[in-house]
Amino acid sequence: MAVAVLAAVTAVVLGVLWLAQGRQQAAPTADFGAVPSTAAGAAGGPSGTAPPLPATEQAARTDAAPERVVVPGVGLDARVEGVGVTERGDMTVPDDPAVAGWYRYGPAPGGAEGSAVLVGHLDSETGDLGEFAALRDVRAGDTVEVRRAGAEPVAYRVTARATVPKDELPPSAFRRTGPPVLTLITCAPPFEPERGGYTANLVVTAEPMDTR
Amino acid sequence: MRTRFPVAVVASTGACALALGVAAPAVAAPAADQDMATVSVVHGIPDMTVDVYANGDELLSDFEPGTVTDPQSLKAGTYDIQIFEAGQGPDGTPALEKKVEVGEGDTATVAAHLSADGKPQLTAFADDVSKVDAGKGRLTVRHIAAAPAVDVRAGGEPVFTGLTNPNEDSAVVDAGTVEADVVLAGTDTVALGPAELNVAEGASTVVYAWGSAEDDNLALATQKFSGMDSMPKAVHAGGDGTAVSANSTEWGAGWIALGGAAAVAGVLAARRFAGRRG
Repeated sequence: MAVAVLAAVTAVVLGVLWLAQGRQQAAPTADFGAVPSTAAGAAGGPSGTAPPLPATEQAARTDAAPERVVVPGVGLDARVEGVGVTERGDMTVPDDPAVAGWYRYGPAPGGAEGSAVLVGHLDSETGDLGEFAALRDVRAGDTVEVRRAGAEPVAYRVTARATVPKDELPPSAFRRTGPPVLTLITCAPPFEPERGGYTANLVVTAEPMDTR
Repeated sequence: MRTRFPVAVVASTGACALALGVAAPAVAAPAADQDMATVSVVHGIPDMTVDVYANGDELLSDFEPGTVTDPQSLKAGTYDIQIFEAGQGPDGTPALEKKVEVGEGDTATVAAHLSADGKPQLTAFADDVSKVDAGKGRLTVRHIAAAPAVDVRAGGEPVFTGLTNPNEDSAVVDAGTVEADVVLAGTDTVALGPAELNVAEGASTVVYAWGSAEDDNLALATQKFSGMDSMPKAVHAGGDGTAVSANSTEWGAGWIALGGAAAVAGVLAARRFAGRRG
């Protein structure tokens, strides 16, 4: 029932935004929540060498590599490995649809600022659904937990989800400064084999839960 | 950044920045402050601790050889830069003096160093802080040592050749750690290194070769500018269409119910129609 309501609302929102997009610069299509498009800090200034980490508790670590991402509400549970970019400059996505990739050039989940990016396949080339396919059912307020190597897990709360054409991923998803968020990315329909497959991305934004 | 040079090396630490007399915010984006410039200072004259003055005001004190300051925001304009032996300024005779002009939005590094034939001099370098592609880093080498022309090699392959004092060469390369060394131009005679050099992603790594070949104290110092990162070109996270296929009723129906497929198709169609698509 909840899905049906969400679906109806989403359809309306998407429809409205679709009309809006026809005549102006395409903005991210919000499924729900506010999607930051040109958040501050897209261009940071030069800075010196990062200061050495202060000797703090593990929970406060901001650079620990993520090992697992879990969204209990939708049954998403994926191992995470660090990824970079391909020869062509696209983000590397782990071939295994059960594994998520963390964009290791950007902030780590639990970082003090910027957008930590996790990516996962929607489906594979061999007929398997990806763990990140579950993002379709994510709702505002859902909890996302990221378990980290040698540090306490960090928890986020989903605040927005958007469907955007692949070539218009908002730069804010990869910003390295500004308020800390977790960004989960997978593919989204339409599926057009003649154009290389899925032509859109699903982008889920989550904000750190206040643990103080 | 982590650098492990077997030779003497000083990464740009905050130590000297603390001594800056100007009330500069930690670091400001160059473009954000319209009448500001971003200036760093590198000290490459061996065996001489100095104080640095700008227009008569002390900018740095007890500045040690081999040190690079963090970038600092200064008002754009012309600065009379004076270098004194520590404790000798500002009324004494400067060891070095030069007028340096920094324009609005400029990012520059002023180097106090030896010329090729061993005389102290000041050189201003323009720092390239333009964006690099995702996965890349900019590597710049500046020759400020009393030494002849050199080649810089990474993994044994020449990256920069025939570099002379006081010049620089720069390239955008894959981010990561490379083993670099400096050889006399056109030879395999190693003057410096090898050293592990971390070319940081989305950043500019500047390496200074400083000191004196004759006095056998050639060394490397490194400087880093960050914030030049670009996002990846795209995220292709889909496969064979299983998630929307007809025989995957749950998912196919889900997408259709969401309206996502239809709406995005509409967006794409509209954009194609509007001619924004290649």
